[in-house]
Amino acid sequence: MLKISNICKKYGDNLILDDISFMIDESKIVGLAGPSGGGKSTLLRCIQQLEKIDSGSITCDGQVCFMFQDFQLFPHMTVLENLLYAPKLNDQFKNHEQYAEKILKNLGIYDKSASYPAQLSGGQKQRVALARSLMIHPELLLCDEPTSGLDVATIFEVVSLLQSVRELGVTMMIASHDLDFLTKITDQIVLLRDGKILTTIETKQIENPINYLRKYY
Amino acid sequence: MTEFISNVTFIGNGIFITLQLLFGGLSIGIALGILATILKYNGFGIFFIDRIISILRGSPLILQLSFIYFSAPSVLGIKLSIVSAGIISFGLNSFAYISEILRAGIKSIPKGQFEAAKTLQIPNYYMWKDIILPQIVRNILPAMINEVISLLKETALISTIGGMDIMRTSQTLAAQQFSYFMPLCIAGGYYYGLVLLIEYLGRKIEYRSEYVKN
Repeated sequence: MLKISNICKKYGDNLILDDISFMIDESKIVGLAGPSGGGKSTLLRCIQQLEKIDSGSITCDGQVCFMFQDFQLFPHMTVLENLLYAPKLNDQFKNHEQYAEKILKNLGIYDKSASYPAQLSGGQKQRVALARSLMIHPELLLCDEPTSGLDVATIFEVVSLLQSVRELGVTMMIASHDLDFLTKITDQIVLLRDGKILTTIETKQIENPINYLRKYY
Repeated sequence: MTEFISNVTFIGNGIFITLQLLFGGLSIGIALGILATILKYNGFGIFFIDRIISILRGSPLILQLSFIYFSAPSVLGIKLSIVSAGIISFGLNSFAYISEILRAGIKSIPKGQFEAAKTLQIPNYYMWKDIILPQIVRNILPAMINEVISLLKETALISTIGGMDIMRTSQTLAAQQFSYFMPLCIAGGYYYGLVLLIEYLGRKIEYRSEYVKN
């Protein structure tokens, strides 16, 4: 699905990603853990081509979409307009109105269709951001800190939301510093620190993944 | 009373010139401002445009107006009418301010908005038209209203080269009647009335975009 080989990324003299290589299989959820400044966001941004890599290669078969930490909904558009704007411009996406309705109903925010982002709570914005990403039928969804700034109850909601996205067959990569959240949802966790991969674990095969990962912080 | 009404009507004749200067100047200012902003954003002629803006902001408007009106015949060999000299100089001057307002407007849009449009595969043209520009317009509205009001009052400078605007008609009347009080009050009333109208329209547009705030 996604193959990353030997990528390096520098900001000035700072080496942010140092020879990163790994692969992700289809329909897996992979977590990116590690301390702040470890390169999690930068890696996701490189995969989405928001940043240029200095060397190495990234190959991905299928559509990629990115969910921003601060959602970046379009503030002057209603929820529905936010969802419909991109697919409306692209002939590749058909029946997007019905699809938007279906997604909004599934995510429980259909009644917010006519609201503006400023009128929504953090959790609702998160759902809208997710819905908007799904509108372009991504095969790979990149989520940057999807739980930051959310309360515990909402984090539980995010977990079930992302699990329902997985049922659509979407592969996901989630960067988060919240190990508890990551172990709940991922198949695999990659631990990044100082731009290097320190370890990769299969979440379900380790007895206490949180304790195991904490050693590396 | 009849004298007052005839004074008001006489000075009111100047409103057409004032409005011509305002709308003409504003159109040139906005058009050049957008052009310069697009050029600068794409990295063309930044140094050159910045120098022009610096010079236009760095000299008195009355100097620019006289320069264009009085020196155009000798330098360029064309005789400009008073109103066109006014529209050109007010347009150029407000261009300098408007392009800075637009620059601030672009800076006010978070980088993430551009990135979000990119991740959703929205083509550049549509991104600017439907996502970035509406937000810029909303953010710069108060500053633009400021600029319109200040340009309206600056158009009074046209009276120094003989343009029959509100200011000049009131001065003419004052000279005829040997009394400045009434004519200047009436002229002030016209300007203030126009400013109130601009403020009202501005507030209406701002109100319309209230929900849009982040």
